Amino acid sequence: MAAFHKLVLSLGFLSMFHAAYSAAQHRSYLRLNELDFTGLPSDIFLQALLSLLIIMYGVLNVAGNFKEIKASADLDSKSWETFRNIPSFYTFSHRGKSFAA
Amino acid sequence: MSNKSKQVPTVAYSESAIRNNLSITEYCRTSMAALSGCTAGLLGLTSLHGALFYIMAVTTLWLMILYKAGFATWNKYFISRKSLLTSGIFGQLFTYILCWTFSYGMVHVY
Repeated sequence: MAAFHKLVLSLGFLSMFHAAYSAAQHRSYLRLNELDFTGLPSDIFLQALLSLLIIMYGVLNVAGNFKEIKASADLDSKSWETFRNIPSFYTFSHRGKSFAA
Repeated sequence: MSNKSKQVPTVAYSESAIRNNLSITEYCRTSMAALSGCTAGLLGLTSLHGALFYIMAVTTLWLMILYKAGFATWNKYFISRKSLLTSGIFGQLFTYILCWTFSYGMVHVY
């Protein structure tokens, strides 16, 4: 899934770069024909906006997943036995030794 | 004392989870400022149109973050929805202006 989102991100960047190149081409066309700049053609405009949206979607998914902020969120799945288990309090030298002997 | 604690239920938040979520949104916000700046320059926006575009981009990112967290369950991940929208809005504005002027220069001037 992460690879898919990276692919989306790269496609968005490519599309954005293409839109920028098209805009620069349009500008040089206007300059050669001595026309005034009134605004970009609508297809370049739409392509730029759409690729921005795609890139934002990609970035949001590549950035990572949110964690629950409640402190007890990751404790809910653990049982009391897991918590009570404290290795530092283990005793091995007890009367069980003499029972076994 | 016990009466008081019954009236206001205290919720313990996990510090590291909050910091994790905020660093993710910060990352998205910085990228969004840079990229929407590039787009604004590409589109050839000038003066107030650029500022409006920035506000639009910030709002869009906010909605996308809320969509990712889930519109009904966002308070599982963030304490305040409003500060998610407004925090760092002026700090990112300078990143936006930098990219805006740069890409405007690259596409439209040269």
